[in-house]
Amino acid sequence: MKVLKFGAVWCSGCLVMRPRWQEIETEMPELKTEYYDFDKDKQKVKEFKISDGKLPVFVFVDKKGKELVRVSGERGKEELVELIEKHKDK
Amino acid sequence: MLKRLLIWLLGLVLLLSLAGPVKAADKVMVEFFHSSACSHCIKEKAFLKELDKEYRGMKVESYEISQPYSQRLWQEAGERLGVEVGSVPFTVIGDKHWTGFNEETIGKEIEAAVLEALGELEEESASEAGRLKLPFVGKVDPKTLSLPILTFLVALLDGFNPCAMWTLLFLISLLLGMKDRKRMWLLGLTFIVTSGLIYFLVLAAWLNVFLLVGLVKWVRLAIGIFALGAGGWALRDWWKNRDGGCEVVGEEKRDRVFGRLKKVVKKQELLWAMLGIVVLAVVVNMVEFVCSAGLPAVYTQVLAMNNLPAVKYYLYLVFYILIFMLDDMVVFGIAMVTLKAVGIESKYARWSRLIGGLVMLGIGLAMLFKPEWLSFS
Repeated sequence: MKVLKFGAVWCSGCLVMRPRWQEIETEMPELKTEYYDFDKDKQKVKEFKISDGKLPVFVFVDKKGKELVRVSGERGKEELVELIEKHKDK
Repeated sequence: MLKRLLIWLLGLVLLLSLAGPVKAADKVMVEFFHSSACSHCIKEKAFLKELDKEYRGMKVESYEISQPYSQRLWQEAGERLGVEVGSVPFTVIGDKHWTGFNEETIGKEIEAAVLEALGELEEESASEAGRLKLPFVGKVDPKTLSLPILTFLVALLDGFNPCAMWTLLFLISLLLGMKDRKRMWLLGLTFIVTSGLIYFLVLAAWLNVFLLVGLVKWVRLAIGIFALGAGGWALRDWWKNRDGGCEVVGEEKRDRVFGRLKKVVKKQELLWAMLGIVVLAVVVNMVEFVCSAGLPAVYTQVLAMNNLPAVKYYLYLVFYILIFMLDDMVVFGIAMVTLKAVGIESKYARWSRLIGGLVMLGIGLAMLFKPEWLSFS
C-alpha cells in the first residue's frame, strides 16, 4: 500500500498537514508515500481527479495502484494512522 | 507563535470577564464632633439618630472631643474647611459645616445637606454602575468597549481565512528559495503593507459613503438584510467545512498571478521587484475585495452610525486592518524566522466563522429593528 499526497504551496491546509505526515513517516519507516504538487504534476492530478474537491487530498492505493480510499482536508494523525494500519497489507 | 497569540487574546477576554462592577462611594458621611457635657450635643445626637433611621444612605461618625484622636480629627476638619474650631456640636457634611444646634434652622439645614448629598451619590452610582474595573487599566465604560470588540470580531471574521491567503503563501514559497534575507523580508512586507493599505482605502471609501447616506433608512435596512445573509453564510460555512481544506477554484486566475509573481520576484533590481509586488498586491486585493466587500460595508455602516470625531473613525479602520491582516503577518513572520512555510489550522478559522457569524446576525437584527443599539458612543 502507498499513500499519494496531493497538495499545493498556496494551500494553508496542505502546509498544516506537512509536519503531521513527517511524524507518521518517521514513526512508520516502512510506509511508502509520494507527494504531488497540484500545480506541477498535472497528469497525476488529472488521473486521480483531484481538481473536483478540496486540497490536500490523500489517496491510499494498493500494490497494483488501485485506489483503496481517499481523504481530503485537514486530518488528525490518529485517523491517518488508523487508515494506514487498516490497509497496510493490501 | 499563533498559539501564544491566541493565549494572549484569550487572556484579554478573561481580563474583561474577571472585571467586576465598580462599587460606588458608599454613603453620605456626617461627621459629628460633640462633648458629653453639652446639652445641644445631646439634642443633635438624638436628631441625627432619627435622621439616620430615615435615610439609610447616610452614616454618622461621632467623635467625642475629649478623646485625643477625636481632637486631632476635629482640628483637621477645621483646617480642611478653613474655620477655627472651638465649640461643639460641630457638624460636617462634605464641604458644609455647622457650629451649634437647633432643630428648626440647623437641623433643617443638615437634613437638606444630607438629601442633596444623597442625590449626588445616586447620580454618581448610576453612572458608575455600568462601568467595569479592569486590572491595570482602571474604570472603563462597557459602552466604549463595545465598538472595539465589535471591530475585533468583524475584522477577525473578515480576515481569518487561511484559504484566502493563497497569494501570500505562494510568494512565501518563492521567497524561501532566496538566499538574501533582507530581500525576503522587504518583498514580503511590501506585499503585506500594500494589501493592508488597499483594504484601508476601500474601507475609508465605504465609510465616507455611509457618512453621507448611511442614515437614510433604506440604506440601513439593505445593509441589515445583507448582514443577516453574511451571518447566515458564515454559520453555514462553520457547519459544513469541518475538515478544513481549500476549494480548488479559479485555476486560470491563480496561474496568471503566480506567473507574474515569479517574474517580479526574480527581478535583479530590488526597487523594481518591490514596485512589481506593489502593483500585483493592488490588483490581487482589488479582485479579492469583490468577494468580501460585504463585511466592510456592514462594519463601516455601523461605524458611521456612531457619531465619532474623524480621527477616531480612521483609528478604528487601522485597528480593523491590523486584525484583518493578523493571520498574514503571523504566517509571514514565522516563515521568515524559521525559513519554513507554515499554515494556519482551519479550526481557528472555523471558530472565527461561528463567532463572527453570530455577531453579524446580531448586527443585522439590530439594524433592522433596534438601530439605536448600534450607536455605542
